[in-house]
Amino acid sequence: MGVELQHPMKPELTAEEAARGRFVSGIRAFILNDLAGDLRTAYDKRAAPAFARDKGRPPETSNEAHQALRGDPAFNIYSAMRVQAQKMVWHASGDVVARDIERLEAEAVRVAGQPGSVKLNSDLDIPRNVDAIEVHLMPGSYTRGGESLEAGAVYDQGLAVFSMGLMGANLDDIGLSMAAYVKGKFPDFKPQNILDTGCTIGHNTLPWKQTYPDAKVEAIDAAAGGLRYASARAKMQGQDVNFAQMSADALDYPDDSFDLVFSSMFLHELSKKARAAAFKEAYRVLKPGGLLLHMELPPNDQMNAFDGFYLDWDSWYNSEPFYKGYRDESPPALCEAGGFGADDYFQFVVPSVGIYGEEAVEQAIADEGAHAVDSETTGRLAEGIMWFGFGAWKR
Amino acid sequence: MSVKTENLGPAFKPDDTPKEIYGPDGKPQFFDDPGMDRYVAVVMNMAQEMWVQEERLMALEGLKASEADREAKLKEFIDRIFAPLREQGSDDI
Repeated sequence: MGVELQHPMKPELTAEEAARGRFVSGIRAFILNDLAGDLRTAYDKRAAPAFARDKGRPPETSNEAHQALRGDPAFNIYSAMRVQAQKMVWHASGDVVARDIERLEAEAVRVAGQPGSVKLNSDLDIPRNVDAIEVHLMPGSYTRGGESLEAGAVYDQGLAVFSMGLMGANLDDIGLSMAAYVKGKFPDFKPQNILDTGCTIGHNTLPWKQTYPDAKVEAIDAAAGGLRYASARAKMQGQDVNFAQMSADALDYPDDSFDLVFSSMFLHELSKKARAAAFKEAYRVLKPGGLLLHMELPPNDQMNAFDGFYLDWDSWYNSEPFYKGYRDESPPALCEAGGFGADDYFQFVVPSVGIYGEEAVEQAIADEGAHAVDSETTGRLAEGIMWFGFGAWKR
Repeated sequence: MSVKTENLGPAFKPDDTPKEIYGPDGKPQFFDDPGMDRYVAVVMNMAQEMWVQEERLMALEGLKASEADREAKLKEFIDRIFAPLREQGSDDI
Protein backbone atom coordinates (compact mmCIF):
# COMPACT_ATOMS: atom_id res chain seq x y z
CA MET A 1 0.00 0.00 0.00
CA GLY A 2 2.62 2.51 1.09
CA VAL A 3 5.78 2.80 -0.93
CA GLU A 4 9.34 3.34 0.14
CA LEU A 5 11.32 5.10 -2.56
CA GLN A 6 14.11 2.91 -3.90
CA HIS A 7 16.54 5.49 -5.26
CA PRO A 8 19.44 6.84 -3.16
CA MET A 9 18.08 10.42 -3.11
CA LYS A 10 15.11 9.32 -1.00
CA PRO A 11 14.73 10.93 2.42
CA GLU A 12 15.68 8.72 5.34
CA LEU A 13 12.59 8.09 7.46
CA THR A 14 12.47 7.67 11.22
CA ALA A 15 10.20 4.88 12.49
CA GLU A 16 7.57 7.46 13.45
CA GLU A 17 7.70 9.21 10.05
CA ALA A 18 7.33 5.89 8.28
CA ALA A 19 4.30 5.07 10.44
CA ARG A 20 2.72 8.45 9.68
CA GLY A 21 3.28 8.02 5.96
CA ARG A 22 1.90 4.49 6.04
CA PHE A 23 -1.26 5.69 7.75
CA VAL A 24 -1.80 8.40 5.13
CA SER A 25 -1.39 5.89 2.29
CA GLY A 26 -3.77 3.56 4.12
CA ILE A 27 -6.46 6.14 4.70
CA ARG A 28 -6.17 7.27 1.07
CA ALA A 29 -6.66 3.70 -0.08
CA PHE A 30 -9.78 3.50 2.12
CA ILE A 31 -11.14 6.77 0.67
CA LEU A 32 -10.26 6.09 -2.96
CA ASN A 33 -11.46 2.48 -3.02
CA ASP A 34 -14.10 1.96 -0.30
CA LEU A 35 -15.60 5.44 0.04
CA ALA A 36 -15.36 5.98 -3.73
CA GLY A 37 -17.45 2.81 -4.13
CA ASP A 38 -19.98 4.20 -1.65
CA LEU A 39 -20.05 7.44 -3.61
CA ARG A 40 -20.99 5.53 -6.75
CA THR A 41 -23.69 3.62 -4.84
CA ALA A 42 -25.09 6.87 -3.43
CA TYR A 43 -25.08 8.41 -6.89
CA ASP A 44 -27.01 5.51 -8.41
CA LYS A 45 -29.35 5.06 -5.46
CA ARG A 46 -30.08 8.64 -4.41
CA ALA A 47 -28.33 11.47 -6.20
CA ALA A 48 -28.99 10.63 -9.86
CA PRO A 49 -32.64 9.57 -9.28
CA ALA A 50 -33.32 12.80 -7.32
CA PHE A 51 -31.78 14.82 -10.15
CA ALA A 52 -33.90 12.89 -12.67
CA ARG A 53 -37.09 13.51 -10.68
CA ASP A 54 -36.33 17.21 -10.69
CA LYS A 55 -35.16 17.63 -14.31
CA GLY A 56 -36.96 14.79 -16.05
CA ARG A 57 -33.65 13.22 -17.17
CA PRO A 58 -30.50 11.84 -15.56
CA PRO A 59 -27.35 13.96 -15.15
CA GLU A 60 -25.57 14.22 -18.48
CA THR A 61 -22.45 16.19 -17.72
CA SER A 62 -19.73 16.34 -15.09
CA ASN A 63 -21.26 19.58 -13.77
CA GLU A 64 -24.67 17.94 -13.47
CA ALA A 65 -23.21 14.95 -11.63
CA HIS A 66 -21.55 17.44 -9.26
CA GLN A 67 -24.85 19.25 -8.77
CA ALA A 68 -26.62 15.95 -8.09
CA LEU A 69 -24.04 14.84 -5.51
CA ARG A 70 -23.59 18.08 -3.58
CA GLY A 71 -25.09 17.63 -0.13
CA ASP A 72 -25.32 13.82 -0.29
CA PRO A 73 -23.85 12.31 2.90
CA ALA A 74 -21.60 9.93 0.94
CA PHE A 75 -20.26 12.85 -1.11
CA ASN A 76 -19.69 14.95 2.00
CA ILE A 77 -17.71 12.35 3.86
CA TYR A 78 -15.71 11.21 0.81
CA SER A 79 -14.82 14.81 0.01
CA ALA A 80 -14.04 16.05 3.52
CA MET A 81 -11.79 13.05 4.11
CA ARG A 82 -10.02 13.39 0.77
CA VAL A 83 -9.22 17.03 1.47
CA GLN A 84 -7.78 16.21 4.89
CA ALA A 85 -5.86 13.19 3.57
CA GLN A 86 -4.26 15.46 0.97
CA LYS A 87 -3.15 17.89 3.67
CA MET A 88 -1.76 14.94 5.63
CA VAL A 89 0.31 13.89 2.60
CA TRP A 90 2.18 17.21 2.53
CA HIS A 91 2.46 17.38 6.31
CA ALA A 92 4.08 13.96 6.40
CA SER A 93 6.55 14.72 3.62
CA GLY A 94 7.25 18.32 4.73
CA ASP A 95 8.32 17.21 8.21
CA VAL A 96 10.63 14.55 6.80
CA VAL A 97 12.30 16.92 4.36
CA ALA A 98 12.72 19.73 6.92
CA ARG A 99 14.73 17.33 9.05
CA ASP A 100 16.66 15.68 6.23
CA ILE A 101 17.33 18.54 3.80
CA GLU A 102 20.96 19.18 4.70
CA ARG A 103 21.88 15.56 4.16
CA LEU A 104 20.06 15.61 0.79
CA GLU A 105 22.00 18.72 -0.28
CA ALA A 106 25.27 16.99 0.68
CA GLU A 107 24.29 13.87 -1.28
CA ALA A 108 23.57 16.03 -4.32
CA VAL A 109 27.02 17.66 -4.11
CA ARG A 110 28.60 14.22 -4.01
CA VAL A 111 27.16 13.20 -7.41
CA ALA A 112 27.53 16.61 -9.09
CA GLY A 113 30.32 15.33 -11.37
CA GLN A 114 28.32 12.39 -12.77
CA PRO A 115 27.05 12.44 -16.39
CA GLY A 116 24.04 14.70 -16.89
CA SER A 117 23.42 18.37 -16.29
CA VAL A 118 21.07 21.00 -14.96
CA LYS A 119 20.83 24.51 -16.39
CA LEU A 120 18.85 27.12 -14.46
CA ASN A 121 17.56 30.41 -15.82
CA SER A 122 16.99 32.99 -13.11
CA ASP A 123 15.54 35.42 -15.68
CA LEU A 124 12.65 33.08 -16.50
CA ASP A 125 9.29 34.61 -15.77
CA ILE A 126 7.74 31.88 -13.58
CA PRO A 127 4.16 31.16 -14.69
CA ARG A 128 1.50 31.79 -12.04
CA ASN A 129 0.34 28.16 -12.19
CA VAL A 130 3.80 27.14 -10.95
CA ASP A 131 4.21 29.47 -7.99
CA ALA A 132 0.99 31.41 -7.26
CA ILE A 133 -1.30 28.43 -6.72
CA GLU A 134 -0.75 25.76 -4.10
CA VAL A 135 -1.28 23.04 -6.69
CA HIS A 136 -2.92 19.92 -5.22
CA LEU A 137 -2.82 21.71 -1.84
CA MET A 138 0.99 21.49 -1.83
CA PRO A 139 2.20 24.23 0.56
CA GLY A 140 4.53 26.66 -1.22
CA SER A 141 3.79 24.96 -4.54
CA TYR A 142 6.63 24.07 -6.93
CA THR A 143 8.78 27.04 -5.92
CA ARG A 144 8.89 26.26 -2.20
CA GLY A 145 12.43 26.79 -0.93
CA GLY A 146 13.60 28.57 -4.10
CA GLU A 147 16.55 26.81 -5.70
CA SER A 148 17.08 24.51 -2.71
CA LEU A 149 16.19 20.84 -3.02
CA GLU A 150 13.20 21.31 -0.73
CA ALA A 151 10.36 21.48 -3.28
CA GLY A 152 11.65 18.43 -5.16
CA ALA A 153 12.18 16.39 -2.03
CA VAL A 154 8.73 17.27 -0.68
CA TYR A 155 7.17 16.35 -4.01
CA ASP A 156 9.05 13.05 -4.24
CA GLN A 157 8.27 11.93 -0.71
CA GLY A 158 4.72 13.35 -0.93
CA LEU A 159 4.02 11.42 -4.12
CA ALA A 160 5.38 8.25 -2.51
CA VAL A 161 2.74 8.58 0.22
CA PHE A 162 0.03 9.87 -2.13
CA SER A 163 0.39 7.14 -4.75
CA MET A 164 -0.20 4.17 -2.41
CA GLY A 165 2.30 2.18 -4.45
CA LEU A 166 0.28 2.59 -7.64
CA MET A 167 2.90 4.75 -9.37
CA GLY A 168 5.81 2.36 -8.92
CA ALA A 169 8.65 2.18 -6.42
CA ASN A 170 10.37 5.18 -7.99
CA LEU A 171 7.14 6.88 -9.10
CA ASP A 172 8.04 6.07 -12.68
CA ASP A 173 5.20 3.75 -13.63
CA ILE A 174 3.55 6.27 -15.94
CA GLY A 175 6.78 6.79 -17.88
CA LEU A 176 7.58 3.07 -17.94
CA SER A 177 4.07 2.17 -19.13
CA MET A 178 4.03 4.85 -21.82
CA ALA A 179 7.53 3.96 -23.04
CA ALA A 180 6.64 0.25 -23.11
CA TYR A 181 3.56 1.07 -25.16
CA VAL A 182 5.44 3.24 -27.66
CA LYS A 183 8.27 0.70 -28.04
CA GLY A 184 5.82 -2.17 -28.54
CA LYS A 185 3.42 -0.29 -30.76
CA PHE A 186 6.03 1.37 -32.98
CA PRO A 187 8.99 -1.05 -33.08
CA ASP A 188 10.66 0.84 -35.94
CA PHE A 189 10.54 4.14 -34.10
CA LYS A 190 13.97 4.75 -32.56
CA PRO A 191 14.08 8.26 -31.11
CA GLN A 192 17.57 9.82 -30.85
CA ASN A 193 16.48 13.07 -29.19
CA ILE A 194 13.78 13.06 -26.54
CA LEU A 195 12.24 16.00 -24.68
CA ASP A 196 10.09 15.74 -21.54
CA THR A 197 8.13 18.94 -20.85
CA GLY A 198 6.94 19.89 -17.37
CA CYS A 199 9.09 17.14 -15.89
CA THR A 200 8.95 18.25 -12.19
CA ILE A 201 11.52 15.88 -10.59
CA GLY A 202 12.11 13.83 -13.73
CA HIS A 203 10.42 10.75 -12.27
CA ASN A 204 8.75 9.94 -15.59
CA THR A 205 11.66 11.22 -17.68
CA LEU A 206 14.08 8.48 -16.65
CA PRO A 207 12.05 5.62 -18.17
CA TRP A 208 12.68 7.09 -21.64
CA LYS A 209 16.43 6.95 -21.08
CA GLN A 210 16.05 3.39 -19.79
CA THR A 211 13.90 2.37 -22.77
CA TYR A 212 16.05 4.14 -25.39
CA PRO A 213 19.54 4.17 -23.81
CA ASP A 214 21.21 5.64 -26.91
CA ALA A 215 18.92 8.66 -27.00
CA LYS A 216 19.89 12.11 -25.75
CA VAL A 217 17.22 13.00 -23.21
CA GLU A 218 16.35 16.57 -22.25
CA ALA A 219 13.77 17.56 -19.66
CA ILE A 220 12.42 21.00 -18.86
CA ASP A 221 10.36 22.59 -16.13
CA ALA A 222 9.74 26.15 -14.97
CA ALA A 223 10.63 25.49 -11.31
CA ALA A 224 14.36 25.58 -10.43
CA GLY A 225 14.36 23.64 -7.15
CA GLY A 226 12.58 20.65 -8.64
CA LEU A 227 15.08 20.54 -11.50
CA ARG A 228 18.12 20.56 -9.20
CA TYR A 229 16.51 17.71 -7.31
CA ALA A 230 15.63 15.92 -10.57
CA SER A 231 19.22 16.12 -11.78
CA ALA A 232 20.69 14.78 -8.54
CA ARG A 233 18.04 12.05 -8.48
CA ALA A 234 18.86 11.05 -12.08
CA LYS A 235 22.63 11.05 -11.48
CA MET A 236 22.24 8.83 -8.43
CA GLN A 237 20.44 6.33 -10.61
CA GLY A 238 23.17 6.54 -13.25
CA GLN A 239 20.86 8.19 -15.79
CA ASP A 240 22.42 10.77 -18.11
CA VAL A 241 19.71 13.41 -18.59
CA ASN A 242 20.01 17.15 -19.25
CA PHE A 243 17.57 19.25 -17.26
CA ALA A 244 16.86 22.90 -18.10
CA GLN A 245 14.65 25.60 -16.61
CA MET A 246 12.20 26.58 -19.32
CA SER A 247 8.49 26.97 -19.97
CA ALA A 248 6.81 24.52 -22.31
CA ASP A 249 5.01 27.37 -24.04
CA ALA A 250 8.30 29.10 -24.99
CA LEU A 251 10.92 26.43 -25.65
CA ASP A 252 14.50 27.53 -26.08
CA TYR A 253 15.27 24.95 -28.77
CA PRO A 254 15.62 25.34 -32.55
CA ASP A 255 12.93 24.01 -34.91
CA ASP A 256 13.09 20.29 -35.76
CA SER A 257 15.19 19.30 -32.70
CA PHE A 258 13.44 16.22 -31.29
CA ASP A 259 12.10 12.83 -32.35
CA LEU A 260 9.81 12.61 -29.33
CA VAL A 261 8.17 15.28 -27.20
CA PHE A 262 6.53 13.86 -24.09
CA SER A 263 4.67 15.04 -21.01
CA SER A 264 2.87 13.33 -18.16
CA MET A 265 0.17 14.73 -15.89
CA PHE A 266 1.23 18.18 -17.08
CA LEU A 267 -1.30 19.70 -19.48
CA HIS A 268 -4.02 19.91 -16.82
CA GLU A 269 -1.86 22.24 -14.75
CA LEU A 270 -1.57 24.84 -17.54
CA SER A 271 -3.89 27.70 -18.35
CA LYS A 272 -5.79 27.26 -21.60
CA LYS A 273 -3.59 29.84 -23.32
CA ALA A 274 -0.32 28.26 -22.15
CA ARG A 275 -1.59 24.82 -23.13
CA ALA A 276 -2.41 25.89 -26.69
CA ALA A 277 1.04 27.50 -26.97
CA ALA A 278 2.71 24.33 -25.63
CA PHE A 279 1.14 22.24 -28.43
CA LYS A 280 2.44 24.71 -31.05
CA GLU A 281 5.89 24.70 -29.48
CA ALA A 282 5.97 20.89 -29.39
CA TYR A 283 5.06 20.83 -33.08
CA ARG A 284 7.78 23.38 -33.88
CA VAL A 285 10.61 21.55 -32.09
CA LEU A 286 9.61 18.10 -33.40
CA LYS A 287 11.42 16.82 -36.47
CA PRO A 288 9.27 15.66 -39.37
CA GLY A 289 8.42 12.05 -38.54
CA GLY A 290 8.61 12.89 -34.83
CA LEU A 291 6.09 11.88 -32.21
CA LEU A 292 4.14 13.96 -29.71
CA LEU A 293 3.00 11.90 -26.73
CA HIS A 294 1.06 13.06 -23.71
CA MET A 295 -0.03 10.99 -20.72
CA GLU A 296 -3.03 12.70 -19.18
CA LEU A 297 -6.42 12.37 -17.60
CA PRO A 298 -9.05 11.18 -20.05
CA PRO A 299 -11.32 13.91 -21.46
CA ASN A 300 -14.91 14.56 -20.39
CA ASP A 301 -16.32 14.14 -23.90
CA GLN A 302 -15.31 10.46 -23.82
CA MET A 303 -16.65 9.71 -20.34
CA ASN A 304 -20.00 9.38 -18.61
CA ALA A 305 -21.16 12.11 -16.23
CA PHE A 306 -20.24 10.35 -12.99
CA ASP A 307 -16.76 9.16 -13.95
CA GLY A 308 -16.06 12.54 -15.55
CA PHE A 309 -17.02 14.36 -12.38
CA TYR A 310 -15.12 11.89 -10.21
CA LEU A 311 -11.94 13.16 -11.87
CA ASP A 312 -13.06 16.81 -12.05
CA TRP A 313 -13.54 16.82 -8.26
CA ASP A 314 -9.90 17.87 -7.92
CA SER A 315 -10.53 21.08 -9.79
CA TRP A 316 -12.67 22.53 -7.00
CA TYR A 317 -11.49 20.69 -3.94
CA ASN A 318 -7.83 19.90 -4.56
CA SER A 319 -6.61 23.26 -5.86
CA GLU A 320 -6.32 22.18 -9.49
CA PRO A 321 -8.00 25.20 -11.10
CA PHE A 322 -7.16 24.29 -14.72
CA TYR A 323 -7.96 20.59 -14.41
CA LYS A 324 -11.59 20.74 -15.50
CA GLY A 325 -10.92 23.29 -18.25
CA TYR A 326 -8.36 20.85 -19.60
CA ARG A 327 -10.67 17.85 -19.33
CA ASP A 328 -13.38 19.79 -21.15
CA GLU A 329 -11.05 20.21 -24.11
CA SER A 330 -10.71 17.56 -26.80
CA PRO A 331 -7.26 15.94 -27.22
CA PRO A 332 -7.60 15.55 -31.01
CA ALA A 333 -8.66 19.20 -31.33
CA LEU A 334 -5.70 20.32 -29.20
CA CYS A 335 -3.27 18.41 -31.43
CA GLU A 336 -4.87 19.77 -34.57
CA ALA A 337 -4.78 23.36 -33.31
CA GLY A 338 -1.08 22.80 -32.54
CA GLY A 339 -0.38 22.01 -36.19
CA PHE A 340 -0.74 18.23 -36.34
CA GLY A 341 -2.84 16.58 -39.03
CA ALA A 342 -6.25 15.26 -37.92
CA ASP A 343 -5.43 11.82 -39.35
CA ASP A 344 -2.16 11.66 -37.43
CA TYR A 345 -3.86 11.64 -34.02
CA PHE A 346 -4.08 8.48 -31.91
CA GLN A 347 -4.99 7.59 -28.34
CA PHE A 348 -4.85 4.56 -26.11
CA VAL A 349 -5.46 3.17 -22.64
CA VAL A 350 -2.52 1.20 -21.28
CA PRO A 351 -2.44 -0.94 -18.13
CA SER A 352 0.14 0.01 -15.53
CA VAL A 353 3.22 -2.03 -16.48
CA GLY A 354 4.31 -2.21 -12.85
CA ILE A 355 1.07 -3.77 -11.67
CA TYR A 356 -0.03 -5.86 -14.64
CA GLY A 357 3.30 -6.62 -16.31
CA GLU A 358 4.64 -6.37 -19.82
CA GLU A 359 2.28 -8.99 -21.24
CA ALA A 360 -0.69 -6.80 -20.32
CA VAL A 361 0.87 -3.89 -22.22
CA GLU A 362 1.48 -6.19 -25.21
CA GLN A 363 -2.14 -7.31 -25.07
CA ALA A 364 -3.34 -3.70 -24.99
CA ILE A 365 -1.27 -3.06 -28.12
CA ALA A 366 -2.65 -6.15 -29.83
CA ASP A 367 -6.25 -5.33 -28.96
CA GLU A 368 -6.86 -1.57 -29.04
CA GLY A 369 -10.42 -2.02 -27.84
CA ALA A 370 -9.43 -4.00 -24.74
CA HIS A 371 -9.63 -1.07 -22.33
CA ALA A 372 -12.30 1.59 -22.68
CA VAL A 373 -11.64 5.25 -21.98
CA ASP A 374 -15.10 5.52 -20.45
CA SER A 375 -14.35 3.41 -17.42
CA GLU A 376 -13.93 4.05 -13.74
CA THR A 377 -10.40 2.64 -13.85
CA THR A 378 -9.06 4.98 -16.57
CA GLY A 379 -6.97 7.73 -15.03
CA ARG A 380 -8.23 7.01 -11.55
CA LEU A 381 -5.63 6.37 -8.86
CA ALA A 382 -7.22 3.31 -7.26
CA GLU A 383 -7.26 -0.45 -7.67
CA GLY A 384 -7.31 -1.38 -11.36
CA ILE A 385 -5.47 1.74 -12.56
CA MET A 386 -5.14 2.30 -16.32
CA TRP A 387 -3.25 5.20 -17.92
CA PHE A 388 -4.63 7.30 -20.78
CA GLY A 389 -2.27 8.52 -23.48
CA PHE A 390 -2.64 10.37 -26.75
CA GLY A 391 -0.46 11.92 -29.36
CA ALA A 392 0.21 12.64 -33.01
CA TRP A 393 2.94 12.24 -35.60
CA LYS A 394 4.45 15.27 -37.28
CA ARG A 395 4.51 14.69 -41.01
CA MET B 1 -24.56 27.54 14.76
CA SER B 2 -24.21 27.48 11.01
CA VAL B 3 -23.29 30.82 9.51
CA LYS B 4 -23.39 31.23 5.73
CA THR B 5 -21.43 34.13 4.39
CA GLU B 6 -20.73 35.05 0.81
CA ASN B 7 -17.33 33.69 -0.15
CA LEU B 8 -15.93 33.39 -3.62
CA GLY B 9 -13.34 30.78 -2.64
CA PRO B 10 -9.86 30.64 -4.16
CA ALA B 11 -8.65 33.25 -6.64
CA PHE B 12 -8.04 30.59 -9.32
CA LYS B 13 -10.87 28.18 -10.02
CA PRO B 14 -12.76 26.79 -13.02
CA ASP B 15 -14.97 29.26 -14.90
CA ASP B 16 -18.07 27.17 -14.20
CA THR B 17 -17.60 26.90 -10.42
CA PRO B 18 -20.94 26.54 -8.61
CA LYS B 19 -21.77 29.09 -5.94
CA GLU B 20 -21.72 28.12 -2.26
CA ILE B 21 -19.17 25.33 -2.43
CA TYR B 22 -16.65 27.29 -0.36
CA GLY B 23 -17.12 28.08 3.32
CA PRO B 24 -16.67 31.29 5.27
CA ASP B 25 -12.90 30.69 5.35
CA GLY B 26 -12.73 30.38 1.56
CA LYS B 27 -11.96 26.64 1.83
CA PRO B 28 -14.20 23.86 0.46
CA GLN B 29 -17.23 23.27 2.67
CA PHE B 30 -19.14 20.00 2.45
CA PHE B 31 -21.32 19.77 5.55
CA ASP B 32 -24.03 22.30 6.43
CA ASP B 33 -22.09 23.22 9.52
CA PRO B 34 -18.48 24.09 8.58
CA GLY B 35 -17.44 22.86 12.03
CA MET B 36 -18.20 19.34 10.79
CA ASP B 37 -15.57 19.58 8.04
CA ARG B 38 -12.99 20.44 10.70
CA TYR B 39 -14.21 17.69 12.98
CA VAL B 40 -13.65 15.09 10.26
CA ALA B 41 -10.03 16.30 10.04
CA VAL B 42 -9.63 15.97 13.82
CA VAL B 43 -10.87 12.38 13.78
CA MET B 44 -8.44 11.51 10.99
CA ASN B 45 -5.55 13.15 12.83
CA MET B 46 -6.45 11.22 15.97
CA ALA B 47 -6.56 7.94 14.09
CA GLN B 48 -3.12 8.72 12.64
CA GLU B 49 -1.69 9.40 16.11
CA MET B 50 -3.18 6.13 17.35
CA TRP B 51 -1.59 4.24 14.48
CA VAL B 52 1.80 5.79 15.21
CA GLN B 53 1.46 4.59 18.82
CA GLU B 54 0.36 1.17 17.57
CA GLU B 55 3.54 0.81 15.51
CA ARG B 56 5.60 2.06 18.45
CA LEU B 57 4.04 -0.61 20.68
CA MET B 58 4.70 -3.28 18.09
CA ALA B 59 8.36 -2.23 18.08
CA LEU B 60 8.58 -2.15 21.89
CA GLU B 61 7.02 -5.58 22.13
CA GLY B 62 9.64 -6.79 19.69
CA LEU B 63 7.07 -7.94 17.16
CA LYS B 64 8.78 -8.44 13.84
CA ALA B 65 5.79 -8.04 11.58
CA SER B 66 6.37 -8.51 7.88
CA GLU B 67 5.45 -5.63 5.55
CA ALA B 68 2.37 -7.56 4.41
CA ASP B 69 1.28 -8.27 8.01
CA ARG B 70 1.63 -4.63 8.93
CA GLU B 71 -0.35 -3.51 5.88
CA ALA B 72 -3.10 -6.00 6.74
CA LYS B 73 -3.17 -4.76 10.32
CA LEU B 74 -3.39 -1.15 9.17
CA LYS B 75 -6.24 -1.94 6.82
CA GLU B 76 -8.11 -3.68 9.63
CA PHE B 77 -7.42 -0.73 11.95
CA ILE B 78 -8.79 1.81 9.44
CA ASP B 79 -11.78 -0.34 8.46
CA ARG B 80 -12.75 -0.75 12.13
CA ILE B 81 -12.49 2.93 13.05
CA PHE B 82 -14.23 4.29 9.97
CA ALA B 83 -16.85 1.53 9.54
CA PRO B 84 -19.73 3.82 10.64
CA LEU B 85 -19.11 5.99 7.58
CA ARG B 86 -19.73 3.19 5.12
CA GLU B 87 -22.85 3.35 3.02
CA GLN B 88 -24.17 -0.08 4.04
CA GLY B 89 -22.95 0.06 7.65
CA SER B 90 -24.43 3.42 8.51
CA ASP B 91 -27.76 1.98 9.70
CA ASP B 92 -26.11 -0.50 12.05
CA ILE B 93 -24.46 2.01 14.36
